[in-house]
This record gives sequence, structure tokens and C-alpha cells, in this order.
Amino acid sequence: MSTNDPMDLRQSRREWMKTSAVAIGASLLPLPAVAAETLQTETAPAAPQAKGAEAKPAARFFNPAQHALVDELSETIVPADSHSGGAKAARVADYIDQVLRESFDETQKALWREGLRLIDAMSRHYNGKSFVNANPEDRVAVLTVLSNNDHMTDLPEVRFFIELKRLTVRGYYTSKIGIHDELEYKGNRILQEFVGCDDPTPQTS
Amino acid sequence: MAESEVNLTKTYDAIVIGSGAAGGMAAHVLTSHGLQVLLLKAGKELPIEKESRSMEWPYGNAYSGQLPPDSHSLSFNEYTIRNPPYGLGFEKAKHLKSYIGSNDYLKNIVVDERENPFTGTNYAWVRARCLGGKTNIWGRLALRLSDYDFKAKDRDGYGENWPISYTDIAPYYDKVDLYLGITGVKENLPYLPDSIFQRPTKLNCAEVTLKESLAKMGRVLTQYRAGVTSDGLKHNKYRSRCYGRGACERKGGCDIHAAFDSPTGLIYPAMDTGNLTLRTNSVAREITVDPRTGKASGVHFIDSQTMKDYTAHAKVVVVAASTLESARLLLLSKSRLHPNGLANSSGHVGHNFCEHIMGPGVTGRAKNLVGKTSTLDDGRPGGFYLTRFRNLADKNPKFIRGYGFEGGGGCTMFPRGTDAHGFGVAFKEEVRKNQGAFIGMGAFGEVLARYENYVDLDPIVKDKWGVPALRFHYKFGDNEHRMAEDMKETAQEMFEAAGFEIVHVSSRVLTEGWSIHELGTARMGSDPKTSVLNQFQQSHDVKNLFVVDGSAFVNASCQNPTWTIMSLCWRSCDYLADELKNGNL
Repeated sequence: MSTNDPMDLRQSRREWMKTSAVAIGASLLPLPAVAAETLQTETAPAAPQAKGAEAKPAARFFNPAQHALVDELSETIVPADSHSGGAKAARVADYIDQVLRESFDETQKALWREGLRLIDAMSRHYNGKSFVNANPEDRVAVLTVLSNNDHMTDLPEVRFFIELKRLTVRGYYTSKIGIHDELEYKGNRILQEFVGCDDPTPQTS
Repeated sequence: MAESEVNLTKTYDAIVIGSGAAGGMAAHVLTSHGLQVLLLKAGKELPIEKESRSMEWPYGNAYSGQLPPDSHSLSFNEYTIRNPPYGLGFEKAKHLKSYIGSNDYLKNIVVDERENPFTGTNYAWVRARCLGGKTNIWGRLALRLSDYDFKAKDRDGYGENWPISYTDIAPYYDKVDLYLGITGVKENLPYLPDSIFQRPTKLNCAEVTLKESLAKMGRVLTQYRAGVTSDGLKHNKYRSRCYGRGACERKGGCDIHAAFDSPTGLIYPAMDTGNLTLRTNSVAREITVDPRTGKASGVHFIDSQTMKDYTAHAKVVVVAASTLESARLLLLSKSRLHPNGLANSSGHVGHNFCEHIMGPGVTGRAKNLVGKTSTLDDGRPGGFYLTRFRNLADKNPKFIRGYGFEGGGGCTMFPRGTDAHGFGVAFKEEVRKNQGAFIGMGAFGEVLARYENYVDLDPIVKDKWGVPALRFHYKFGDNEHRMAEDMKETAQEMFEAAGFEIVHVSSRVLTEGWSIHELGTARMGSDPKTSVLNQFQQSHDVKNLFVVDGSAFVNASCQNPTWTIMSLCWRSCDYLADELKNGNL
């Protein structure tokens, strides 16, 4: 598919919903199931608790397949380029996993589980391949559909895209790569003088 | 500093309730006069040095600097669609914080909302119960008031004048400047007097562009006047000068204490005199009164950890618990001689509650700065202050009083502009290229002091310690809303005139309380029938009772209050010490 195709997300989603129901199983339907969804089996079971200890979250929120998918999704949001590494190098998927496994917000967790499946279903529909197996252009095309329709927040896949971008951005720009390589942040060091507009220092590059 | 033992059989010269800007200043001034002072603070013992992690990288923090997942901080929407007490509906969050407690650096400084409920109208009430209170998280803008504020009634007929003039307080502003340190640039403005400034910060290029454009309109933009020592303070071993390091917007305190905070600026030096005794975990619930004389005799407090009751005794009681908590304490202190609460024969305690309205503002982009190399802009305590321009020489037909803007531009540790549309290579590049080009500002405007804006005690709801909660009856009025309209329009006009590309104009008025500048609930005045305190913040009714925090303000002006709170407090405590020596209390 081409990213330039005009896309009616509402119309086309009926089709990929059908495809996904076949490919992934009927558990996806009916929608919206996001708020009601309870803990899924793909999450690793919680480690046995020591007596009296506070409940500890599971070791991982994402299973290996989900983790690989989040790796590619986050890299599609903030990719490596000639300037610096991207979300994968910055281990953004690990960051998101931590946020989710420690989160008390079941709605947020359910949105991620559902969102990952919906994205994969979209990729299978549009590209004939799972998101992880699709080539970079095709991945961009899937996310472009969602980005171009990001006002349709009643759709779970759109809400998921917004959440994916939010946490990817948060994880990336708080990482070493994001702060130092990408933005070349100049702070957290001692200055003798404040830097201002008149100074010959970097202001005029 | 050495901490001395609390002795509850002793009659101290003075008990100070609260350890923030006002309580810290009272402790400093009174101990420097040789008085024996007991300072009661409601907060837990919090090692503020450990809390202030100014140089910590987000990737070195367990939550990248975000609030831990077991905590929730209230959002603007939640303040709007819910009603106080705000605890309901957040059962999954172990800790519930006010809006400002939204990161890992502030979470231990601000109180848990559920332990400290309040009722009534919506209010974004920010409280910090720890040594130093809100001075640990303040925005550091340190401005003076002028006779445009103290004598505002003479100019527009509204409200009351203060019982002091600028000349009364000016020497004390000077003392505060020199003792605590302030950075800024002299501007010779009659409505915003200069301080005795240390080395100023510098404006970045977008800010210079705005300043030059504003000068053509006759408006003044000056470097952020920050309560930060940029040259250092020889007399204070606890504080370093500012090294412009970065991440100043983090607001979780300054770990080298270049930014003023009450513990290192005032309380530790006061402890070094040997005259100060501190008691933590002490929730004051009543000022006790001698039934024979009607005078204050001490403070009844609860240990917040053991829940046990205690009473401490003193010749003078100095209330500095913050504007709203001080009013609450006075109202709680009912007795046969003071049936409406202490110092409240006028009925004005809790009333004339005022503050600053905020929300309207603008974000722009300086196109000539797009694509430039990253610069260190957030190592400054702040960018700029755009001074008041309404109702000075002219008379605005829509509203009285004025507003100023706080703003700044340039690079920040977490980049501005990540809300750009899209994703991928183009998005990443856009964030990078624009990171230093953004400039923004938001207005702070005077909320008129009105008798009908007030707080009282809730008849049912109590806090964790069984102390009746405060109930709010407080709303912005027409003057404020018309002013907010004007803020939005002028903000946009000024950015357009400077040639910035407008990215966002905000017309949204934030919830009452958002400025954290609450004032006026025990105002000063010369008439005991319409005011609570005299010009020395001394109760008209109870001679040995002083209320030295923002509650004494007669109006809010549009300038940030901290520097004025401390200057007034210094003046009053000098008077207190003299009166005590002369046997007049």
C-alpha cells in the first residue's frame, strides 16, 4: 500500500476486522472490549509472593512476541537516522514494559494488549504480513493511517496509537541517546557565566 | 546545626507555627534578637537534601522522573469535573497529589490529598508539609510591590489601602535582598521597584527579540528576577551560588540551594544561634488562650505520627502556617472570650481571600532559531518577566488592576514540541530542529479581594488527625474573567509583533488556586472592625498574637508574593522583639 492513498479508517477497518478475526481468533471481537478486558494469558504469571510482602508486578508485561512488536512500533515512531539512534537503541520497549507492568491502570494495560493485536491485524490486512515481518515502508503506512485519523479517539486502535506515541516519546527523550546524542542537551554541567544571546557560544552555529 | 530538645514545661519567648517563607523568616529574625523560639511544623522530617536531585538524569531515575505508578496527581480536568474532597474515584492510587506533585521530584514534598481533605468550591490547593514548606518547590520569581499596590484604592477606588506605604517596607526589602540573594536587572519602574540585585542571568535570542519589539510598544521585559544567589552569600555556609547548570524547571528544589529555600536560607542559620528549637510532626490544632487575660498562651498540637496531644507555652504566638492554614487555625481556636475564633472580632478571618488568576498565555516559535545548535537555556532560574502595563497611566474600560507575564524560551532537558503531529524521521527531525526555537509566556493577574470570597470550617469533614477541614466559598469574578480575555489578546498581539510564529494561544483559565499565591484571609488594616491585623501583623484583638504570612495581604497585586511576605515578616518581627522587650505584649 502507498502512504498517499486516501484512507477511510472507519470503512476499511470493517474489512481488516474480518481478516483479523480469522487470523487471530474471535477473541478480538466484539468491540469495544478494551475497558472490560481482564488479564490475558500472554502476560507472565506473577511470581509467588513472600508472606506479608506487597504484591509485586510480574517480571515482564510483554511476552517476547509483543516485546518484538513494541520494539518495531517504537522504532517506527522514532527511528534511527543519520543524526542518532532510534527508539530501539534507546530500549524504549523496555521502558514501556516497566511503565505497564507497574501500572495500576487496568484500562491502560488492556489498551496496550488490544492495541498490539489490532495493529498486527491491520498490518496483515494491508500488507499481508505481521507488523514485525513487514518492511519499513509498510510499517510506516499502517501507522500513517492511524496518525492521519488521530481525531477518531472512539476507536481503540487510534487511542492505542496516541498512547504508543506518548510513551515512546517519553521513553526516548529521557534516555541517554535521546538527551545526549539526539538533542545534544547542554545542561547538567557547571558554568562560570550564564549563556546569552550576545555570547559567541553555540547560539549562532 | 544542632537541634535542641523540645521542652514542653518551658515558656518560650515565641512559638512560630510553620517553617516556610514566613515561618523561616520569623525564626531567623526572632532568634537573631536573642529570643528563645520554638518552631512547630506539621510536616514529617524530610531530608530535603536527598529530595533535591537537581543533577539527576531521567535515565538514572527509576521512573524517568515521572510519578511512580502507585501515585496520581490531579489534572486540570479532574479539578474541573470533580468536587472537593477530591479523593473519591482514585481508589487505585495509593497516593493522591495536587497537580504540581506530578513528578518524582515533588512527590514527597507535597501532601497527600486524602489525608488533608477540604470541601466546598473547586480549588487546586497545593500544600507542602515538610521543613521549608512550599519554598522547596517555589518558582523563585521575587518581585517587590509598590504604592501602585499598597495604595491601589487611591487609584481606582476599589477595596482598601494597606496600612503601610512603600517607604515603610523598602528597608526590609533591602534586608531580604542582601540576606537571601536575588538576581535581576535594574529598570527604574515606579510600579515595580528594583531590588539590590546580584549578577543577572541573560536573555536568549528569542527573548531579546521580544524585548526589543515590546520596547517599541512602551512595554518592559526584564530578566527573571529570581530569589537565587548568583554571586553567593558569604554569611551563609549552607548555600552555594548558582552555576547555571540546567533542569531548573524541574522545581524539586535546588540541591546546592542557590535558589532560596527556607531551611538553608533561614532555619539552619537560626538554629546556629542556639536559640531555635524545632519540633517536627506537630500539627497545630488550636492556639490556647489564657481565660483571665484573653491573650494567647501557647499552642495545642497533635503529634502526626503518635496521634498524641501536647501543649507548648510561649509569651507570643506567631502564626505562619500559610494563608489558608493560618485562617483555619484561627477559626479553630474558639474560646469563651473568642467565640468566632481567635483574632476574629471583625468577622474578617477567612474573608477577602485573593490570589492570582492564570492560564491565558501564548507559545510561539522564533523561525530564525529553527535548526540552530542546542543551547543551555534551562540553567537559568527563569527566562523573563514582562511587567504590568494595564491601568498604570491609562484606565482600561473593561477591568481594574493589572497582570504581568512570566515566560522563557530555548532548550530544555525534555524538549518542547513533542506534541507535533506525525511520527518517524520527519517528526524526530522536527523536534530536534525546533527545540531551541520555542518561546512562551503565561499571565498572572490580580484577583480582587472580596469579602464574599472566603473559607470557613466544614462542620463534618475532618482531616487524618481529626481536625475540621477547611471549606471553600471562592470563585473568580467578572473583573478577573474580563482581565483573562485581555491577557489572551495582548499575549497574542505581542508575539505577533515580535514576528514569532504563533504555535498556541491559551485562553483557558486554570482552576482557582493554580497560582499557589493564596493571600488575604487575615488582612491588615487600621480599622479593627474591617481588618484582622494592624500594620505589624499583630492581632487587633490579641496583642501577643502575630500572623506573618500571606494572609496579612490587603490585596494580591499582580506580583508574586514571596519576597513581600518575607519583608513584611521581618519588619513585624523586629517590632515584636521590641514590644516584648518593652513589656508591651
